[in-house]
Amino acid sequence: MPSRQARLDRHRGWTAAFLLPSVGLLAVFVVVPIGLTIWLSLHTWSTQTPFSSAVYRGLGNFRELLADGPVGRDFRQALRNTFVYAGLSIAAILPLSLAFGLFIHRVAIRGTGVLRALLFSTYMVPTIAVAIVWSKLYSPSEGPFNQILGWVGVSRQPWLSSPDTALRSLVLLNVWQQVGYFTVLVVAGLTQIPDSVYEAAALDGARGPRLLARITLPLLRRTLLFNVVIALINAIQVFEPVAALTQGGPVGSTNVLTYHIRRVGIERSQGGLGSAMAVTLLLSLVVVVSLVFAVNRRGYEA
Amino acid sequence: MTKIRRGRALAAGFLVAGLALSGGVASATTPPAGGENVKISFLTHWGPDTVALLQSAVDAYHQDHPNVTVEIKAVPFGDLLTTVRAQAGGSAAPTIAGIYDLWLPELVRDGVVAPAPDAVSQDVGSNWGASTASAATVAGTVYGVPNEIDLYALNYNKKLFADAGITAPPATWDELLADAQKLTKRDGDTISQQGFGLINSWAAGVVHPFASLLASNGGSLITDGKPTLDSKQATETFALYENLVKGVKVTDPTMGTADANTAGPFLDNFVSGKTAMIIMANWWESALKSGMGDQAFADIATAPIPVGPSGDGPHSISYSWMTVVSAKASAAEQAAAWDFLSWLNGPTSGKSGASAMADILQSMGILPSRTSDIAAYTDRLNRPFMEGYVAQLANAKPFPIVVGGQEFTEALQKQIESIEFGQASAADAQKTAQADAESILAKAGGATAGTTAGTSGG
Repeated sequence: MPSRQARLDRHRGWTAAFLLPSVGLLAVFVVVPIGLTIWLSLHTWSTQTPFSSAVYRGLGNFRELLADGPVGRDFRQALRNTFVYAGLSIAAILPLSLAFGLFIHRVAIRGTGVLRALLFSTYMVPTIAVAIVWSKLYSPSEGPFNQILGWVGVSRQPWLSSPDTALRSLVLLNVWQQVGYFTVLVVAGLTQIPDSVYEAAALDGARGPRLLARITLPLLRRTLLFNVVIALINAIQVFEPVAALTQGGPVGSTNVLTYHIRRVGIERSQGGLGSAMAVTLLLSLVVVVSLVFAVNRRGYEA
Repeated sequence: MTKIRRGRALAAGFLVAGLALSGGVASATTPPAGGENVKISFLTHWGPDTVALLQSAVDAYHQDHPNVTVEIKAVPFGDLLTTVRAQAGGSAAPTIAGIYDLWLPELVRDGVVAPAPDAVSQDVGSNWGASTASAATVAGTVYGVPNEIDLYALNYNKKLFADAGITAPPATWDELLADAQKLTKRDGDTISQQGFGLINSWAAGVVHPFASLLASNGGSLITDGKPTLDSKQATETFALYENLVKGVKVTDPTMGTADANTAGPFLDNFVSGKTAMIIMANWWESALKSGMGDQAFADIATAPIPVGPSGDGPHSISYSWMTVVSAKASAAEQAAAWDFLSWLNGPTSGKSGASAMADILQSMGILPSRTSDIAAYTDRLNRPFMEGYVAQLANAKPFPIVVGGQEFTEALQKQIESIEFGQASAADAQKTAQADAESILAKAGGATAGTTAGTSGG
């Protein structure tokens, strides 16, 4: 009979063999590009030339992002726009998806299945098609939104045509498109809460908002955490609506980082600078997601 | 999360990184061997109607050259440069691309476009005007076949002018301000009809009209490779913008937004008679016609750019477009591409001595640039809307073509828009614009040093 050590070694070998295909693909398509981007962020490099032409400049690209020149100003504005867009999107999507999810799951009326399908259908439509349709809805002079507002006595809104409202208009589009997806996730989370918990709470006299605050929300915490993280990542990757509708304007008010990185890295061919922006975005995302998890953990401990 | 979104999870920088995997410039100007099948592609930003005309030309060429297949790809204007750069070297790279002349120096520097063979270079040198040919030339080498030339003029709505009791378009900035005030209508605090329209969210749409007004005030954006946005003439031009928005309040910037297809509210408002005057290029004639119909379009007239207090006369800004060939295409593809372009832009492919390209361009109201095309279209170029542009060709100043020109344009765009939306005073915007321009052009000059690419003339 083989020794325990030999059996463990053989087990490890099989484990490695089974893991290799997925881990290998992960390394090739995720780890290597990340490593390459970090390496390029330390160089001056034109995207149209081989990697061998890259010239080392240390932290020069990052210093330029922090400096007061046009590169730094535009980058910081794009970073700020990105996180404002993400924050507003999450602030709207989270309560709306929770409300829709509770309605669909709890209210026993006909048609909730249709409502669920309708809500999710917006997520199925390609974003570029959504953006084109919304460009017509947002038209300041002839768009349906302003016509409807006019019927109720509200003055014409500039929507995408003003730096004061353009980013919020893109957020509205994002919320409309994504809320159904997160509603489905909330419904899935609600089905995981056993009815017996609600029955016990009811016996203890819990009703309405108290039931929601003390039973539903705590037991839905993991789902909501997942929703926050995914909504954050989705929002930070926003690209198509900006490219199709605003081109980052007016006055850079909708210039988000993915769009700005494309402009710098590809249109201007400044691959090193674009990579430094990508690395900064990645680090920012890691910090924000870590904060979200930390806040969630403190909530558990409390 | 969709696959597309997930694929972007590591940000666009990773995409950028992958683009460097290709390298090596194919040298080739030899014609395709007889009978060898060659498939090439043509990337353009033209709309479906114009693409259909190009397809007809491609079909005609294919009849005489059955071994050459030309596939047309179309993307919105906002995606054109990105597509050219992102696909360069890949299997989907377009063999031929229509590009804006401002992009050429950097595409040459980065080895994206191929030099023209001798026969094409000689053709360009002989059959195009010197300034147009120079825009397709970098450090003495021709890289593209020019096709269209565009310039700016004041477009105004004659019906709105008549309603306001104005009999002639403004010739000076003072007249522009006075007329714009008469033409502006308000609904409470909101402008319902703007006397003068400004464009935003589209770099050329913002900067070219500004540069035209600056040129008509005796100034220029760049002189001898150095930005001159700190000149007295520039100060007056920045101040004019501030006056239009905050002083006489004859323009509403929210009515001037453009989208990725260079359409949107700025076009809609002019078409629907809510903008009385705007400075725009000749190429939007087809957009105006399709939006207004022939009857309403007859109310649109063209006039020279109003002259500023320091100007010596109206000067429009002009720019050109050209077709270039990918340096990464195979020798046979490059040869087929240049042969197709020579035919497409030559005097035998179109009607009555014009090129097929000229026929396509004229369908959009765009001025052809080949000398024989201009001669062939003399009668049609004299139509009411276009003759105002043609008359300004002699006084037009080419937009400065420098390495870093696109970045310079986008930085200036932002400062002009910051005045339009009240985020900066004219003085602050001018100061920032000059500092940014100095920084961008100095950096671009540094990046160019050591390469063989210089810049073409203006």
